[in-house]
Amino acid sequence: MVYSFVKELQLMRILLVEDEKKVADIIVRGLKAERYAVDVCHDGQSGWEMANTYDYDLIVLDLMLPGLTGTEILEKVRRKNSLVPILILTARDGMGDKIKNFETGADDYLTKPFAFAELQVRIKALLRRGPVNRSSVLRVGDLEIDRLSQNVKRAGKKIELTAKEYSLLEYLATHPGRVFSRTMIIEHVWDQSFEGLTNIVDVYVRHLREKLDDAFPVKLLRTVRGVGYSLSDGTQT
Amino acid sequence: MNTRSISFRLVAWYAGLLAGIFLLLCALLYLDLRHFLENDLRESQSRRTRQIANTLLAHVKQTGEPYVASQTKDWYEPEINDRFIRITRADGTLVYVSDAPKDGSFDSAEVPIFPPSSQTEFSRKLQLSGNKTLLIAALNFKSSGNPAYLVEFGELLDPVETMLNHLFLQLVLGLPLAVVIIAGGGYLLVRRALTPVEQITRAAERITQYNLSERLPVSSTGDELERLSVSLNRMITRLDDAFQNSKRFVADASHELRTPLTILRGELENLNEDAHLNLEVRDQLGSLLEEVERLSKIVEQLFALSRLDAGEAQTEWTRFDLAELAKTTAEQMNLLAEDKGIAISCNVDKKVPVAGDRARLKQVVVNLLDNAIKYTPKQGAIQLNVTTVNGHAVLEVVDNGMGIPPDAQPHVFERFYRVDQTRSGDSGSAGLGLSIVKSICTAHGAEVEVQSTIGKGSRFRVKLPLFSNGNIS
Repeated sequence: MVYSFVKELQLMRILLVEDEKKVADIIVRGLKAERYAVDVCHDGQSGWEMANTYDYDLIVLDLMLPGLTGTEILEKVRRKNSLVPILILTARDGMGDKIKNFETGADDYLTKPFAFAELQVRIKALLRRGPVNRSSVLRVGDLEIDRLSQNVKRAGKKIELTAKEYSLLEYLATHPGRVFSRTMIIEHVWDQSFEGLTNIVDVYVRHLREKLDDAFPVKLLRTVRGVGYSLSDGTQT
Repeated sequence: MNTRSISFRLVAWYAGLLAGIFLLLCALLYLDLRHFLENDLRESQSRRTRQIANTLLAHVKQTGEPYVASQTKDWYEPEINDRFIRITRADGTLVYVSDAPKDGSFDSAEVPIFPPSSQTEFSRKLQLSGNKTLLIAALNFKSSGNPAYLVEFGELLDPVETMLNHLFLQLVLGLPLAVVIIAGGGYLLVRRALTPVEQITRAAERITQYNLSERLPVSSTGDELERLSVSLNRMITRLDDAFQNSKRFVADASHELRTPLTILRGELENLNEDAHLNLEVRDQLGSLLEEVERLSKIVEQLFALSRLDAGEAQTEWTRFDLAELAKTTAEQMNLLAEDKGIAISCNVDKKVPVAGDRARLKQVVVNLLDNAIKYTPKQGAIQLNVTTVNGHAVLEVVDNGMGIPPDAQPHVFERFYRVDQTRSGDSGSAGLGLSIVKSICTAHGAEVEVQSTIGKGSRFRVKLPLFSNGNIS
């Protein structure tokens, strides 16, 4: 049960090992749209064979698999001294599991159910091995964010932001046009302890919006209902 | 001493019963002995009266009355032997009466002449002055050809009385002593027999839902107590199984729900990407996505609870300053409060070192503050206090909000509990925040409690052990 979606040789190749066919389909569809080449296996044994046979740029691994478990595949791959980045998908997020898998050599960890946007961001981060945008000035439309001085200007006018508002804006500006879920924003700007309260993001976004957009005809901060927020001037997608 | 305890009641019954039996036995012994001794004396006196009658009075015709008198005096020496002897004729005139005994214990003249009796032999007791009792046996002597005489032979009951008094004293003193010794011994025995019960009680007290794997001590004595502890242990095992099952159920259920939720979310997000959707459909998709998010949150929180129940908080144990944690958390949440015009005042003046899972305890502060902000009306005030009280760190979140009705207060930490069912729609929370607080506190050996007055506000109080060099491994 192996499907290949290789189109161009220079494409990043990703191996997805996920036994839930519907989940696998959604991920494959999304990654294909992002122009990745994706191979899918629905059981542990063929997953390990594929990982052992081909050189992948990234492996996305579900933990609960028939045949070999995700953890066993992870161990086998690492024993081969392979440095391929591995992203774990799991329906369990016990701390013990997390630590164990990081020790075994997982590079990142994502708990189901996840927003596809989050999977995308993490995959990108793993493939580039580092923060996505390192430039010291981020620009979105007429918005300028200076990461060194933490100064924010819109149409040349300085905007005063609190520390949290700045972190929120900077995070959204790293991927203009991408929708960030509340969970992603909380984990990045606050920490896991705040996960219970989604409205903290809404309150901060509202305050940020007042300072950022109210005085301008073009609105940069966009709400995508049920999904999250994005920063875009309409030119990026 | 607990008068309702088994040991007390057993010993009391035992001692009471024994005291009763002893008392009865002693009374019987005393009365019987008294009866026997008096009878014995009376017997010997009767024998003597018969002697006098048969050997002397039977021949009074030949010997004459003065001989009888002098012979009686010689044989029985009543003055030396403290005896009373009197021989009277039928008309009441004296033939002989003994003199007062040499020890002067009584005066023979004091003894009145009794009215004639038809009985042949009889006896009587005579109370003399000086609290003395004279026992007298009498014989009506009649024989053909002789005049009738009444022969009386008396002795003091003193030696018998003395002996009986002595016995009485011994019994009166000995009986309570015996009862005390018996009760003491009985108490020791009962205590010894009931010690395993004490042990079982103490062990059973220690068992809560967090250490159901522990068992009661079983002493293999083969007695009823062994059977009791074995059955109690079987009961704990069944409880443990039931508890494990329900925990596993929550863990499994939240796990099984994640995959369909992932699919729902993925498909809905995919649909949402379609640029050609009209606004109405996009709005409906958004609404669906919001609900998926809410479901995911509930699943996540349930899973977090089941992990806390399984004792997972211990994995990331560190030492930190609770005061600093509370302060930074309050700062991070300040905007949330400001948004409703609520002021959070943070009363923290010194370091409060505690040990625990920092992220989890931060969640306690976050959830308590969030709860306070949610249920405090606009322009209200919230206080966050961190202090030390008697070797404990105390964190308080005090608001002046709507308060919690007294009948709801014991339930606020229960899963999915809501004080006001009409509020269930707002803010997308499932009523798990406070039960997570409770579970985290329990995992840290901390207590959490609430005091609240309707219309005045609520006070949530978390008490956890202060860090000292001894309590972290």
